[in-house]
Formats: sequence, structure tokens, C-alpha cells
Amino acid sequence: MSKNLKLKSARAAKDMSQKNIADAVGVTRQTINAIENGDYNPTINLCTAICRVLDKTLNDIFWEEE
Amino acid sequence: MNKKSLDEMQTQRKNKIGNQSFLMLLYLLMFDAGLNSFGFRWVSYPANVMIILSISSGVYVVRLVSANAFVGPSTEKEKPFLKVFLIMMLAAAVSVATLVLLKNASFSNANQMDEMAAPLMFITAGVAIVIAVTTIVINRIQNKKDKE
Repeated sequence: MSKNLKLKSARAAKDMSQKNIADAVGVTRQTINAIENGDYNPTINLCTAICRVLDKTLNDIFWEEE
Repeated sequence: MNKKSLDEMQTQRKNKIGNQSFLMLLYLLMFDAGLNSFGFRWVSYPANVMIILSISSGVYVVRLVSANAFVGPSTEKEKPFLKVFLIMMLAAAVSVATLVLLKNASFSNANQMDEMAAPLMFITAGVAIVIAVTTIVINRIQNKKDKE
């Protein structure tokens, strides 16, 4: 899996750390780190929770262009 | 989401590690039984099973901690060392008390007590303490390494 740079940039745009997002969605910071690095494929529930926190849509963050 | 339990990634990792550890335990016990049937006794009966159980559970806990699947997300900062240490001391005390009670009980014959029981209990408690300290050290190293 490739790195999720969209998530990283959206997080940076909101001036949030991995820990801030992790606390907001109820997961560990390591899980957010694994998603950003492409080491973990999150469930749709977690994806939507992250999108809500970042005020983005699923397409904005998790859709991969071919 | 429930902050007291493990998150989804941790649950997946815990399940995977649990399955692997269970299979390792099974294979080690079968290997031990096989060696026994071939006439090779590396350690006498209660000790071999205890050692295999200690190794398997130790590997399980250390792998859980190294995969960050031991403690769920929590906003509170916990200091588990004292808690773990007290629990281990309590476990050792209970082991000793049980042994003393069994030896002094009228319904039990002290001569029939397995000679290995007492050292095994202490060894098990000692192994548990070593595992607990190892997991704490791993956790701290990991937290330092993962810092943004």
C-alpha cells in the first residue's frame, strides 16, 4: 500500500498532530501513523470518523487515483 | 468509539499474534510429547509443561507490546510499573501462602507434595516479573522511536 499523503496534508492544513486526530476518533496515535504510512487499511467507520474530524470527504482523503 | 478497549488495528494484531502463539504452544507441547515418547526427557514432568507455558505466554505478551496491541487508546497517562510490580508481588505472596496452606492442611500429606512445586512457583513468578519489566522497557523504547 502506498503512503496516504492526502491525510497527512489535510492534517497539516488543520494544524493537527497525529495524537490530536487519534484522540478525536478514539484510536491510538500508532494507528493514525500506520494509516499515513500505508501500513494499515482502515475500516469505513474509521475513515468516516477521520474525514469528519478533518472536514473532508472520503474521496478527498482515501480515494486513490490510478 | 470506546476508548477503554483496543482500537481496530490493535484488535487485528492481537488476534493474529494470539493465533500464532496458540499454534506455537500446541507445536511445542506436541514436540515435547514426541521427545518423551522417544525416551528423551529434557526436564521432568511438571517443569517441562510450565516452561513451555511460560515461554509461550511470554512471547505472546512481548509481541503484543511490541506491536502496540496491549493497551488501548487512553487519554490518561498511566504509570503501569508500580501496578504491575504490586500485582506480581501479590501473585508471589499468594503462591507462597497456597503452598504453606497445602502443606499444613490436615487432608494433605506433605510427603506427597511434588518437590518441584515450590521452586516452580517461584520461577513462574520470577519469569512473570522479567516479562513485565521487558514489556515496559519495550513500550518506552517504542514510544521514543515513534514520536513525531
